[in-house]
Amino acid sequence: MAEVILEKWQQAVSTVNIGATRADGGSRSHVVKVGGESTLPFLFSEGSLPNRPVIAFELCDIVPADWPQELASAYGAGFGDPLSWAQKCVKEYQAKILCLRLQGAHPDFGNKSAEEEAGLISALLKKVDVPLIILGCGDDAKDNLVLPAVCQAAKGERCLIGEAVQDNYKTLVASVLADGHNIIAQSPIDINIAKQLNILISDMGLALEKIVINPTIGALGYGLEYAYSIMERSRLAALAGDKTMACPFIAYVGQEAWRAKEARAEAGQGIIWEMLTATALIQAGADILVMRHPLAVEKANNYIEELMRTNGV
Amino acid sequence: MEKFRVTFYPDNKAIEIEKDRTILSAAVSAGIYINSVCGGDGVCGRCRVRIRKGNAYIPADSILTPQERSENFCLACLATVQSDLEVEIPEQSRLDFTKSGEQVFTETEEVQAPPGEGLGKKFRHMPLARKVYLNLSKPDMEDNISDLERLYRHLDLEPYTGLSNIKQLGDLLRDAEWRVTATLADRDGITELMSIEAGDTTRRNYGVCFDIGTTTISGQLVDLNNSKVLGTKAAYNKQAAFGSDIISRIIHAQKQEGLPELHNIVVDAVNEIIRELVAQHHLDLNDLSVILFVGNTTMIHLLLEIDPSYIRKEPYVPTINFAPVIRASEIGIHIKPRGLLYCLPGVSSYVGADTTAGVLSTGLYRQKELGILIDIGTNGEIALGNDEFLVSAAASAGPAFEGSGVACGMRASSGAIQRVKIDPEKMNVAYETIGGAKPLGICGSGYIDALAEMLQCGIIDKSGKLKTADSRRARDGENGREFILVFKEQSGSGADIVITEADIENIKRAKAAIYSATSVLMRKVELTFKQIARIFIAGGFGTYLDIENAVKIGLLPDIERKKFSFVGNSALSGARQALVSGEALATAKDIARKMTYIELSTEQQYMDEYMAALFFPHTDLDKFPSVRFV
Repeated sequence: MAEVILEKWQQAVSTVNIGATRADGGSRSHVVKVGGESTLPFLFSEGSLPNRPVIAFELCDIVPADWPQELASAYGAGFGDPLSWAQKCVKEYQAKILCLRLQGAHPDFGNKSAEEEAGLISALLKKVDVPLIILGCGDDAKDNLVLPAVCQAAKGERCLIGEAVQDNYKTLVASVLADGHNIIAQSPIDINIAKQLNILISDMGLALEKIVINPTIGALGYGLEYAYSIMERSRLAALAGDKTMACPFIAYVGQEAWRAKEARAEAGQGIIWEMLTATALIQAGADILVMRHPLAVEKANNYIEELMRTNGV
Repeated sequence: MEKFRVTFYPDNKAIEIEKDRTILSAAVSAGIYINSVCGGDGVCGRCRVRIRKGNAYIPADSILTPQERSENFCLACLATVQSDLEVEIPEQSRLDFTKSGEQVFTETEEVQAPPGEGLGKKFRHMPLARKVYLNLSKPDMEDNISDLERLYRHLDLEPYTGLSNIKQLGDLLRDAEWRVTATLADRDGITELMSIEAGDTTRRNYGVCFDIGTTTISGQLVDLNNSKVLGTKAAYNKQAAFGSDIISRIIHAQKQEGLPELHNIVVDAVNEIIRELVAQHHLDLNDLSVILFVGNTTMIHLLLEIDPSYIRKEPYVPTINFAPVIRASEIGIHIKPRGLLYCLPGVSSYVGADTTAGVLSTGLYRQKELGILIDIGTNGEIALGNDEFLVSAAASAGPAFEGSGVACGMRASSGAIQRVKIDPEKMNVAYETIGGAKPLGICGSGYIDALAEMLQCGIIDKSGKLKTADSRRARDGENGREFILVFKEQSGSGADIVITEADIENIKRAKAAIYSATSVLMRKVELTFKQIARIFIAGGFGTYLDIENAVKIGLLPDIERKKFSFVGNSALSGARQALVSGEALATAKDIARKMTYIELSTEQQYMDEYMAALFFPHTDLDKFPSVRFV
């Protein structure tokens, strides 16, 4: 048998801690650790993967306009009501982490005020005790009003807050820094911008160990391979010693998969689409997968289980 | 064809021109030069003029505001003449060289490279034209060989010559009582008897050499007897009225009458500089035997009126790299009537004779150790190598470092800000202008300093966005955020001198193009910057370039500063060497033949590297270990 040549890597991906327990000054029941890989995905012979990829359930502060009925049905009465929706994810689907998108703050989708959203976060933190990922509405000007208030409301809970982009990162970085959270840095499928943004953020004083990269992904059939290769290049750079690239990835699998025409063609197909997109991105090195359908989450979790079991065999 | 009279103000110059011609061409015909960075595509908006009276056809554009339209502003490159017109040209729409009215020429001080090892060789003195005084023996019945053979016998060689010399020979020799001066020139290895003059004129043997740049034309008068430089002059290349980069010039050359138009502009400029130099030194055009040119390949094509269109078409092949020696008069250049014109050879479509000359004058080709020559111009050229090999590449950097295409940019001439220092606490800006005049604008070295200082003081972030909260100096301008470097009260133009985010973006692209071309070229030959012993920086920065700041913004690689030498116009130095030494000319030919050209536009690596360099100093901070901003 031919000898297998083993790669020697210089550096591991940083470990980002999401959520603070009472011991850390927060009120979460546990901490979700992501990242820490010292090898390419699941090549256990070349390094270790101390933290398995995690799946975050995505929820919204309003009834999300663009989610198909199939998803609405999966959550039943709680759909659109973030508090009971969150509770359902945690109680019924054993969610370890939640991802709340504050779409209702967007000027076109309800234009909720910063105070309203901050109030919601306080209520949510009381309702569930899992760590939180909180996303703005995507409108830069509005996010610059809402996210500081949200950061403040969740002070000490070590959430993961997003998203910083190259043209709008300063306000968010300042808030995250002040209130002890982690940040998501988004780049448009571009390794250089990902890196530049990380440098700009760390220049403001936020440690690189507090950054999660959103490399921007595409669903199966919609640019998945581009996302895959960008993630692979970033990870290779990280393992080869580039500190500014050594951050875990977050991938919005649900958002992209359910946008696909095929996913909406007939019942059941969306779940498969979401699951397939997720499995490919797990192989690409995604650390946090934000997903929508409970069944797709379950299948992806099984897949992760399977992959992790090879560890040590 | 119907003709109309167009009068330009405040110049009060009028010109008759056909209906439907653009205001821009009317201005050029009137000898007034209007900015036209985009070369008449109607997209740069630098040629705004106001119509005072008359009727022009003004097509739609995306530049002018409704306010400007209502005030009768239009773009000179789009608006066409439909009646007699009175047109007002605002100061900011003028090309720099007409701003100050008369001062078309600027004496330039050639920057002398610091002495040291690795610099250009001292070539044997053997000028391209030499004069020999002959005191011929009169013919008699015994010694009755022909006049020409008699001449050759005295010369002890049989040069090539032309009929026009021979036709006048009989009378000339006898009128001059057999005492004449022969001018001999080297014509691609053949010695030519260029002319015969009565009496002894050996002391009056001069030549001129020129560097035809995309933006600047520089000429130098040299005494061929002793290689002494008598004077240097520079003028703007007025071809800029048809676009600031070589590609738009090539496109213009393909238009009807475009090629002769561009050709005439450069020939006129050359003749004008020669006239000035000759007058200043009380010489006669007949004293100039030879003229030698360097320049990028496109400029040489336009000089010789050769269609340059294939340069920009795949596979990017020029019509000539090695131009034959011709008579200067063939292209309308006025020196001695039978005077010869030489061009140093180019390497490829985008690495021209100016690079060959730069490699010659810096001695890059003869060093044992590895060296790089980086010529920072509109078309940046990089040569790398030593006495064993030479490779070169070109990068389209754009004219930002030459002060073009940026809001308050200007060439390195009187009134240009060339040094900047910013106090990080009080945000006070200290600056130094060329000639100590009141500041009119910013030249390349000023931009390099300003950006480095702005980064250092945290006024901009590493992506070049303004981040300062100082409302006194930072504001929202017409085209995005801008930083006021000099308030209007202190400026010579009466307007604030600003650096906009768009300017920073332009400079970022320019520096990324130069840096990435250099580093990809390095990787092509599997070298690292650490292995480089010398880096020569050439370019039209005037007399000053802060290497430290150029490294800070990521234009130059972060290696030991003592390895850098700023060599000014290395192309003109090389041209001069070739003018006074056939040995140098032969060496230049060897250099051009030996140099391998690497086309970067087809390299994926180049694009990747370029994208990674679009940051200050670079996305890969490990490449700039000594650069740290607070």
